[in-house]
Amino acid sequence: MDKLDELENQSIYLIREAYYHFRKLAAMWSIGKDSTTLLWLCRKAFFGRVPFPVLHIDTSFKFEQIYRFRDEYARKWKLKLLVARNEQALARGVNSENNKLQCCTELKTNALKQAIARHGFDGLLLGIRRDEHGIRAKERYFSPRDGQFKWNYQDQPPELWDQYKSRTAGDTHIRIHPLLHWTEKDVWRYVKREDIPFVELYRARDGRRYRSIGCQTCCSPVPSQAATVDDIIAELETSTAGEREGRAQDKEDAYTMQKLRALGYM
Amino acid sequence: MTADNRRLVVLSLDGVPHGLLLRLMEQGRMPTLARLCEEHGRPRTMRSVLPTVSCVAWTCYATGRNPGKHGIFGFVDRRTGTYELGFPNAANVRGPNLWEILSGHGKKVFGMNVPGTYPPRPVNGILIGGFLAPSLSKVAYPAEVGGYLEGIGYRIDSDAALARQSKEKMLEDLDVTLSRRAEAILHFLQQDRWDFFHAHIMGTDRINHFLLRQVAEGHPRLAPAFYDYYGRVDAVAARLLEEIGSDRPLMIISDHGFCPIRYEVQLSRYLVEAGWTVPTERVTGPLSIDPARSKAFCLIPGRIYVNVRGREAAGCVAPQEYQHVRQEIADDLLALRDPQGRPVIRAVLKREQVYWPSGSQGPDASAALALGLPPFGMGPDLLAIPHDGYDLKMGLAAPELFLNTQLEGMHTYSDAFFLGRGVEPPEGDLEIRQLAGAILQKLSVPVPQELDLAAVAPPVAAA
Repeated sequence: MDKLDELENQSIYLIREAYYHFRKLAAMWSIGKDSTTLLWLCRKAFFGRVPFPVLHIDTSFKFEQIYRFRDEYARKWKLKLLVARNEQALARGVNSENNKLQCCTELKTNALKQAIARHGFDGLLLGIRRDEHGIRAKERYFSPRDGQFKWNYQDQPPELWDQYKSRTAGDTHIRIHPLLHWTEKDVWRYVKREDIPFVELYRARDGRRYRSIGCQTCCSPVPSQAATVDDIIAELETSTAGEREGRAQDKEDAYTMQKLRALGYM
Repeated sequence: MTADNRRLVVLSLDGVPHGLLLRLMEQGRMPTLARLCEEHGRPRTMRSVLPTVSCVAWTCYATGRNPGKHGIFGFVDRRTGTYELGFPNAANVRGPNLWEILSGHGKKVFGMNVPGTYPPRPVNGILIGGFLAPSLSKVAYPAEVGGYLEGIGYRIDSDAALARQSKEKMLEDLDVTLSRRAEAILHFLQQDRWDFFHAHIMGTDRINHFLLRQVAEGHPRLAPAFYDYYGRVDAVAARLLEEIGSDRPLMIISDHGFCPIRYEVQLSRYLVEAGWTVPTERVTGPLSIDPARSKAFCLIPGRIYVNVRGREAAGCVAPQEYQHVRQEIADDLLALRDPQGRPVIRAVLKREQVYWPSGSQGPDASAALALGLPPFGMGPDLLAIPHDGYDLKMGLAAPELFLNTQLEGMHTYSDAFFLGRGVEPPEGDLEIRQLAGAILQKLSVPVPQELDLAAVAPPVAAA
């Protein structure tokens, strides 16, 4: 069995395990390459039909290509698409220009909290990968969150022999990460093999492409000539830059900016 | 096992000027340090780095390298080959730091709160990052140490935002931060037989930033509070000395000096006025510039970049114009006067003078990208060095060129201090970068060849 088959099998096993365990399950879809791959795997796991809702946390600041892609494939794939927006915060004029940290908290974290409260989700499928970011190295496939969304990474059960702790006490939901063991390159290889559609922003135009997409206000393209999936894979073979290099809104950057501003460095 | 006289302890006090230290000791406000001086000689002045920013200075200290080699030029930098801002940290530092070098020779090492060490690299011992580390769960190697720190209410840094609300609140916060730091220092000191133990106090820099002018003017409440704080820092040194006994070699050092601010100077705005920088219609950050029409732009403090064609993503200065443009910008900067007509800029240095004294121009952005070098650290084309009192900021859309805010003190280059017991850094003019050599020698570890341990006095040394 080749590597991609192994990755796919493991992910589909996790998705089915999650569907069996959770009363109210949803898949988070950011419309990026990873969560779109996740949906592709969900469709495979259930023979072409995703049997749970797909949740898009919409900050209203996404690229228009993202919205177009979302609507097109929600229709083509017959998804039960739920769009969650923190309308109160948007009405108050929250945006990244005033305060990036507040913007992310209100329009992403709080929008998700509201959606969980409204729909009563107890399990959420996410397309995160261990290699994306240092802190994600400690993630588990089944990862509990408390009511405040706090993740206590020092208190996690080991996940041996494919035994997953998929239940926890009371006021929590569990995040399930079926792509945790994939790398960025694995995703692109799989996209190529399966011919999974993706947002055009990932392709280089005028010497730039997005390696990671999100809000238009906080993402920057990286220098690149990679216009095809093959080019992208080849580029990843040699690149030493981090995948999220172009993401200004990484929480750590936002924190750093706040600190530096207080000291007059910004 | 290493004998005591080969096990070095470093206590660093961020941003304490040599002159201030002497005055505080004379006035009896820092008796422990004064006693140490009586026994082991007066503190020496030490030069910092250019630009004079803590993370740059401590990275020079930790790597023994010039910024041209280690790649850290400030708390903010632009991403290589772009006009976007980013925040370099220890992950972007080229070359091993002291803790890593010493670990490689089997030494037991400890570092705490030294700027520029976050995210901590793995070492033979413990490395706890400092300012700009976002949380206790990520601050330390090994990560478990974060649990202990959390338990004692350790604070990575005092909250500078408080100072902008009220100086009293800031003082309270500084106090708590210092007492928890002291507790952690003693805890770790007793925990193991460290060959190299370096603990850092950041609060001295903070209190200087926000109170220096009030102290100079003898403010009735804030000046005494300032002196009290230094008294408590001295008490921390006393506890540390008591703990280590009299045999162990010791360094107490700072990374730069300080002087009161006369004006914060919004240098980006000046470049706009002089026609070098053209901002975008809506300015959302320090680099909101129109690259097609901006011949140059600047980052804090006084780092000027020429937008050279071929090197920059949308460069508009022809390479053959480069030297000429640099000269014109330097002339403009030297002509800058404050509202009272006093000159603002003392000198404008070229990148090769400061960072690549061997004659090379240093890496350019396109070469760097081709080599897959880190995303930051190409270095500025020119460095503007202000006269004391003129704190160079960015302020692309600032309302005024010259401003005054709650910041009262700014960094100075030539008056950091060095106080040593049983450690002998080179004679003559001393630069913070040279301490790495002295430390390695003290610990009988061979000094790697790539270190820049000769003093390179840039032409602005004299105040």
